[in-house]
Formats: sequence, structure tokens, C-alpha cells
Amino acid sequence: MATYTERQAGSRLADYLSEHAQVLSIALFFAICILFFSAMTTTFLTSGNLLNVVRQAAPILIVAVAMTLVITTAGIDLSVGSQVALINALAAILMATGIPWPVVVVLMLIAGAVIGGAQGWFISYQGIPAFIVTLAGLSILRGFALLLTEGYSIPIRDAAGFFWLGRGEILGFPVPALIAILIAILGFVVMLRTQYGRQVVAVGSNMEAARRVGMPAKKVLASVYVVSGVASAIAGMLIAARLGSGSSNAAQGFELQVIAAVVLGGTSLMGGRASMLGTVLGTLTIAVIGNGLILMHISPFFTQIVTGTIILVAIWMNTRLFDRNWRFARKKPA
Amino acid sequence: MMAAEAQIAEGRGDAPLPAEPILRLRNIHKTFGSHEALRGVDLDIRPGECLGLIGDNAAGKSTLSKVISGTYIPDEGEIELEGRKVRFSTPSEARDLSIEMVYQDLSLCDHVDVVGNLFLGRELKRGPFLDQKRMLAQAEEMLAALEIRIPRLTAKVEKLSGGQRQAIAIARAASFEPKILLMDEPTSALAVAEVEAVLALINRVKARGVAVVLVTHRMQDLFRVCDRVAVMYEGTKVAERNIGETDLQELVDLIVGKGGH
Repeated sequence: MATYTERQAGSRLADYLSEHAQVLSIALFFAICILFFSAMTTTFLTSGNLLNVVRQAAPILIVAVAMTLVITTAGIDLSVGSQVALINALAAILMATGIPWPVVVVLMLIAGAVIGGAQGWFISYQGIPAFIVTLAGLSILRGFALLLTEGYSIPIRDAAGFFWLGRGEILGFPVPALIAILIAILGFVVMLRTQYGRQVVAVGSNMEAARRVGMPAKKVLASVYVVSGVASAIAGMLIAARLGSGSSNAAQGFELQVIAAVVLGGTSLMGGRASMLGTVLGTLTIAVIGNGLILMHISPFFTQIVTGTIILVAIWMNTRLFDRNWRFARKKPA
Repeated sequence: MMAAEAQIAEGRGDAPLPAEPILRLRNIHKTFGSHEALRGVDLDIRPGECLGLIGDNAAGKSTLSKVISGTYIPDEGEIELEGRKVRFSTPSEARDLSIEMVYQDLSLCDHVDVVGNLFLGRELKRGPFLDQKRMLAQAEEMLAALEIRIPRLTAKVEKLSGGQRQAIAIARAASFEPKILLMDEPTSALAVAEVEAVLALINRVKARGVAVVLVTHRMQDLFRVCDRVAVMYEGTKVAERNIGETDLQELVDLIVGKGGH
């Protein structure tokens, strides 16, 4: 008979709590933010304002879902803001030349995939750190957007269907928010229920192990940047559709909001540990803070300071309170 | 080292078991930069037997096991599997030929649960989705067949003890009907009771007709599970002994290079 030294199975509740500590803490923090702004302003908890929050959060959420995959592989994509700007400008330029908007949408999705694929190739097959590749991408892609538009904002005309994507409503609910929710659900399912999601986690958790068991580790690593490229393209078009124009100055600081949302949600920068639900809550928290501070008539310049501080404090608390679940260094296998 | 050369001729030739070798290595060379890790190694591995691979640090035993598992491609030499010449350039190609390896670092994904690790790289699917129910049921069978007890199969692997992690790594390698199972230091980091369990596990795997290659530093383990021992010294195989015809002292002498004197 085998005589393993086994740990006694602890209480299910304790297991559950420790496994989901990150999500529970961000959920709690989110609830506190909602209560705080509801108490401090009269307008925060109106349906009009809440719908506005989700409409504005939609592009961030879409890219944050993709960024969750990227960060799960222990990577990072700093170029998403520039990708959004480039797609945003490119879409407006193409529509100005008279190409029908559905064709432009398809072309932009392909462009996003190609941009992401190029970055993924450098990262995965050439072994250049993701930070470096996407930092270069951040500069190059924004530069292309500026070059194409010469810094001007390009108006989009006569594309009612396209505008509907950014401004329309279904049963009173904003279309971009619906698109974002669909993408978040897709993200959940892919991450938890598909082989691809398992491969992404495995590559982030232990790249060498994934390779040894025959997973296409490099392909998986490159593919997450394609996913973030496509997501950035969707976000870029939604922003263009909402504003009715394309501009190289769109989505300034977007990448930082997205990364903050993902990290706030408990996905570990060291890879392997992902939480899609945390990402959704993290995105909403950041959106609510931005919105609430404006409603409280606090200077918009102050918003950035507060957002940054809250992220630092929230993650610091996570490190202190739940450091079993939040490790900056990977523990050596026993 | 001259003693080592003399030992090669002496150790080879006499087959300790009647069975035909399932894997035959001939004249394997492997060089890393200026370092000759393997300098012409011959080795036969037979089904249902456990071959112990011993030697000092840097003697080449890990390199040799990684050549067999496809992690390293030999610079020179031949590998024959069941009489056919084979070449594999990745671990998954070796795996396709039913050669499994348990790595010293276990190669588990800490953030994936026990079931997921057992099926890592060969997930069962139902349509586009993972078939978690079927994987859980089969994982229970796999572990039961090897008499491994893990309290909660949906727990993340990072929560388990060293012995449990080792057991999962072995179960993963042993459960998909391997012909050859390589184990690199499976007992080196374990507590006493866990070592006993892993040795019992090796004997059960062996009893299924699997050829087991055990790379180890722990001499006492050899006498518990191995039928034959091959001793490596400075990148060559210096001796081969049937376990019944040797003792601890002789093996120690062979490892440190006193065998020829």
C-alpha cells in the first residue's frame, strides 16, 4: 500500500476563499467605490450615468480581456493605446475614400491581427522581451497614426450603421457596452473551458513544461498578441464610431488604464494566474472612480493622481493581505 | 580515466536478462561548446526491467537521459527503438514513440489543477470545449491504478506537498502506456515516507512491462527497484552490473573511478 504523507483536506470554504481572495477583494473594493460615490453625489446612481459609465468603459474592457491573456503568459502589451489610435485614424481615412464601412471593419480587424502577429513573432520566435517589443510598437504605431493624419482629426460621414456601433442602443442599453460584455463572456469561456485557454495558462505558468508535453508553446505565446491586436482594433473602431471621427491622438494613456484594470483584478504579472472576473471588476472600478471624481467636481487633473494612488494601494493591500496568492517571485518547486 | 576506458569493454556484452532490448543506444556523443558531455555511450534498455543510471555530478547521466527523451539531439550515434532506427528532435516526438520522462523539476504547471496537469498537452475535448467531467473521472482511475491518493483533484498543484507533486508527475508519465519511462532523480527532494511510496510506484510501473530508467544519486534506492545498474564516468559508461551481482561498495568505487585499480 502507498503511504503518502497527505495533508488533511481543509475546509472547502477556506480553500474557496484563498483561491478567490483576489476577486473577492476587488469586488469588495468596487462595492465600496459605488457606495462612496452614491453617497457623495446625487447623480452617480442614476441609470443615465451608469449607462454612461459602461459605454465609456467598453473599449477598455474589450482590450483588458485580451490583455488578461497576454499578462497570463507573463507578457505585456504596451502598444494597445497606439494600436487603438492607428486603427481609429486608419478607419476614418479609409471611410473618407468611400470604402463601405462593413469592408473597413473587416480590414481593420485584419490589420489589428497583423500588427499583433508581427509583435508576437518578435516576442515568441525571436525571443525579444515583450516589454521592449511593445514599447517600440507604442512609438512606431502612434507615429504611423500621426503621419497618416498629419495630426488632424478626420471626420467620418454618412455611415449610420458604423455610428450605431458606437452610439446606438438596444432596449436602452448601449451597443458598445453589449459588444464589450459579449467579448468578456467569450473571454471567460475561452480561459476556463477551452484547450486554448489551458495552453495560455500553461505557457504562463511553466513555459518549459508546456513545451515538454508537446504544446505549441511558441505559437500560443505569439497568438495572445494577435488577440490583443484584434481587441485593440475593435476598441479603436468603437471609439471612432462614438466620436464620429478618427484621430491620432485617441486613446492617450489607454494602455496604462488597461494594464491597471487587469492587475487590479488579480491577474499576476508573473504569469499563470488569471482572473477574467477580476479583470471585469477592475475595469469597472477604474471607470467608476474616473466618473465619480468628475461628478464630485474634482479637477480632472486630479483624477489621474487618485487613480494611480488607488491602484498602488489596492495592489499593496493585496500583497500584504493575500500574499499566499500574490507572489512576485515564483516559488521553486519543492 | 584510463581505468574508465578499460571498464567499458568489461562491462558490455553479457545480457543480464533474456528479453530483447526495446531501446538500443550506440556510440552516443553530445558536446556543449567545448565540453564533451557524452563521449560514445552504448546502452541497452529492456522491457519490464529497471535500469539504474548512476555516476557523479557531471558524469553525463542527465544528459544521456535527455538524449533518450528527445530534449537533446545527439551529435553522433544511433538510437534504435524496437529494432527500428529512430530520431527525435523534440520531447513530444519521443513522447509519440511512447518514451516518457519525469523531469527532476517535475514540469508541472503550478497554476493548473491536478486533473489539468495529468492531462497537460493531451486534454480531452467535447466539441470545442474541455471535457472536464471525463478528465476528472479518468484522472481518478489513473491515480487509483497506481494507488496514489490525492484528496482533491481540482486543487491547484502549487498547494500540494513534494511527494504528491512527484506522484502526479510520475502518474502523468506512466498513465499513457509508455514503453520507456525515464525518471531523473525522482526521490532526491522527498521525505522518507514519500520515497517509499515513489519506489513502490516504480515497481508497479515496472510490473506493467514498462522499461524504467532511473537516474539517481541515492544508492540505496537502486537495490530496491533496479535490475541492472549502468555507471557513468566523465561522459562514458564505465560499467554495467546486474543488481544481484554487485554491492554498494563496488558501485561507489566505480562511480569515483577506483573500479579499474
